Amino acid sequence: MSGLSLYVDQGTYLNKLHPYTKLLYVFAAILIPLIGGGGMLFAVTIGCSIILLILGRTLRRSFPLIAFSFTLIIVIFLVQGMFYYGNETSLFSLWILTFYREGVMYALRISLNILNMLLSFAVFVLNTSPQELVEELEKNGFSPKFGYVINSVFQIVPQMMKTKDTIVDAQRSRGMETEGSLATRIKAFMPLISPVVMSALINTRERAIALEVRGFGRKNKKTFINDRQKLKGDIVICIILILLTAGVVIRRVYSCL
Amino acid sequence: MSLIQIEHLKYRYPGTEKLALDDITLSIEKGEFIGIVGRNGAGKSTLGQAVNGLVPRFHNGAYGGKVMVSGLVAEETPVEEMCEHVGLIFQNPFNQLSGAAETVFNEVAYGLQNLGIPAGEICLRVENVLKRLDIWEYKNRNPFELSGGQMQRVAIASILCMRPEVIILDEPTSQLDPQGTEEVFKVVEDLTETGITIIMIEQKLEKLAKYCDRIILMEGGKVRDFDTPEKIFSREDLEECGVEPPAYTRICKEYGLKLSDGTYPVKLEDAEILFRDSGTKPAPLEKKPERDSYGEEIFRAENLDFFYIKGVPIFEKLGISLDERPTAIIGQNGAGKTTLVRLLKGLLKPVSGNIYFKKEDISGKTVAMLADKVGYVFQNPDDQIFKYKVLDEIMFGPLNIGMSPEKAKEESLKAMELMGLSGMEDTNPYDLELHQRKMTAIASVVAMDTDVIILDEPTIAQDHPGKVLIGNMIHELSLKGKLVIAILHDMDFVEEYFERVVVMAHGKILLDGTAEKVFADDEVLAEARLQKPYVTALREILICSE
Repeated sequence: MSGLSLYVDQGTYLNKLHPYTKLLYVFAAILIPLIGGGGMLFAVTIGCSIILLILGRTLRRSFPLIAFSFTLIIVIFLVQGMFYYGNETSLFSLWILTFYREGVMYALRISLNILNMLLSFAVFVLNTSPQELVEELEKNGFSPKFGYVINSVFQIVPQMMKTKDTIVDAQRSRGMETEGSLATRIKAFMPLISPVVMSALINTRERAIALEVRGFGRKNKKTFINDRQKLKGDIVICIILILLTAGVVIRRVYSCL
Repeated sequence: MSLIQIEHLKYRYPGTEKLALDDITLSIEKGEFIGIVGRNGAGKSTLGQAVNGLVPRFHNGAYGGKVMVSGLVAEETPVEEMCEHVGLIFQNPFNQLSGAAETVFNEVAYGLQNLGIPAGEICLRVENVLKRLDIWEYKNRNPFELSGGQMQRVAIASILCMRPEVIILDEPTSQLDPQGTEEVFKVVEDLTETGITIIMIEQKLEKLAKYCDRIILMEGGKVRDFDTPEKIFSREDLEECGVEPPAYTRICKEYGLKLSDGTYPVKLEDAEILFRDSGTKPAPLEKKPERDSYGEEIFRAENLDFFYIKGVPIFEKLGISLDERPTAIIGQNGAGKTTLVRLLKGLLKPVSGNIYFKKEDISGKTVAMLADKVGYVFQNPDDQIFKYKVLDEIMFGPLNIGMSPEKAKEESLKAMELMGLSGMEDTNPYDLELHQRKMTAIASVVAMDTDVIILDEPTIAQDHPGKVLIGNMIHELSLKGKLVIAILHDMDFVEEYFERVVVMAHGKILLDGTAEKVFADDEVLAEARLQKPYVTALREILICSE
């Protein structure tokens, strides 16, 4: 799929798994360490996500996500390390800045949580076709109108971005400067944004007609041409994930009693 | 009972006072091929949309009279139900894609899925229609990555697989290059043999006349006439309705050659027979008077190298010199025409080589620096319009390049008059029709009073009067010593209004000369996959057949 989607069909086993299986993995990977409450569980789920990203040949494409999370993690370490409300034990000092053991441990826990969520989402997003996911959701009663909105974002927004480039060229051709000082950019805002919005509205109106004449508003049940059977692996993985999550929940409840 | 029955249909769009359709009564039989012709704004598209119920069910507005299709009353039948009986294809192929499918196969299947057709039958129907329209090989491609002609065929396939009894084609080729147009007309030709009822709105009258059983001539929301193509195109008041007869009719009129029923022929073969039987010899085309001087050299490009993707060159050592003669650049999409004019305008920078404007090297100049020298009218007027009044929109460019407000207004009013927009100064451009917005975009660049004006497909969406206005504008600017460069797919327009024609293909200039010279070179036209103007083609056939 082109455009906004991060998914690329590489024919891997992960690509072939049912979207719900991968969605269940995201829930399990997030819930197990959170409910289990152990730092080691974070290491396990993060490790699992990294292995899955390698198997799906998507590790390299997940780097921007990881890089983004590191910016956030550094800020968390700085803020919590120095200002966490329970800070008591000094760990180390840099110039006039003192970091505390309690704050750093708290920041570590939050950071592992963020990294875990991002990596498990990366496993899902980089290996699942959005259209396939929407179709499966629609089969289970999700509104086709909302499904259309989700699908069309991935196809139509990139086309709108191309239109924006043409609009910039058209206004530059009429002597309008689009680059330079803040004042120049503010002045260029209306001549650029108005045609973008109006083109989008005109196109949307035409597309609405095109959809109407193809039965978009029909109230009968939509049919689907891709009959996606669950693989054996889907069932096995789902059972394992449910058992692991249930195990962690039971252990947690038992420990509270 | 007729398949389509329209009785006293009246319709007015919301927020307007004028009737878009005014007391229309007609009937169409099953299997007929009906053409609708008339000037822009005559009500052709509105009538088409009244047949499938979009008028009034989608557009709302004031509606009177009755439209019945296959026993269903259009006003009372939901569009999503009517779509199983009447299919609609319109101009812009891009906007007809649902945007919900990753592949051509899924795109074509989309409508059938909405109708709840069983999956097995959907697959059979889609395969059948994709093969019939010769696009089976693209079934796994992303529809947004196809060419215009291919996209339009996908749009037709999407409608055809729903098996409607009637198909309405609203100027389906107006935004396509010659090859895309041929692809679509080939499909239309095949459709005529299927027995499906076709209603086609089209400005390419030579093509329309070839297929139509009957033609509806519209003017001011009314049906002026509904008869055979020969009778319609033989009407003396045709040009008053903003319609120029097909080239074959014009040439027969010129020589007074009529069919036995007193009408003029509309098809090439009929015209050919008339000429042969009457022993009339067509005179060769009059040579356009050559200028004494081509004026000073305005642009010179030397050794231009350019690529968008490294390793895939668009131009290699391209060279061209342009003087004051109005110049048309012709070729298929992908030939490099737009890239060349964008380089001349400074919107793109050459990888190597030099571009001189009046002997000054402009390779390093920005677009804004060149704005007062080189004007560029983009293909889609909606890419630039943002003001709430036509006059303000047109004055935007002149003011940007440093004209005083008084001078900018004076130039803008002159440009408006030239483009037929006088009296619309305070109109909101978004309230105008597409062809008028296009004229606004052209006027907004003409008002900048630049030495060069580049036009990208100026005749798209224009009817005959619109084309005449643009042709006159080119002539007038040329008389003032300005260079007009236009990218065009309309060969008859090129032949009529341009002194110089540059043929491009695969990033190379294949031929550069007068229209007469270019359209006489069959080999070059074949290589560039271009067709001759209709009149030239007919004259050549008649001269050869002698």
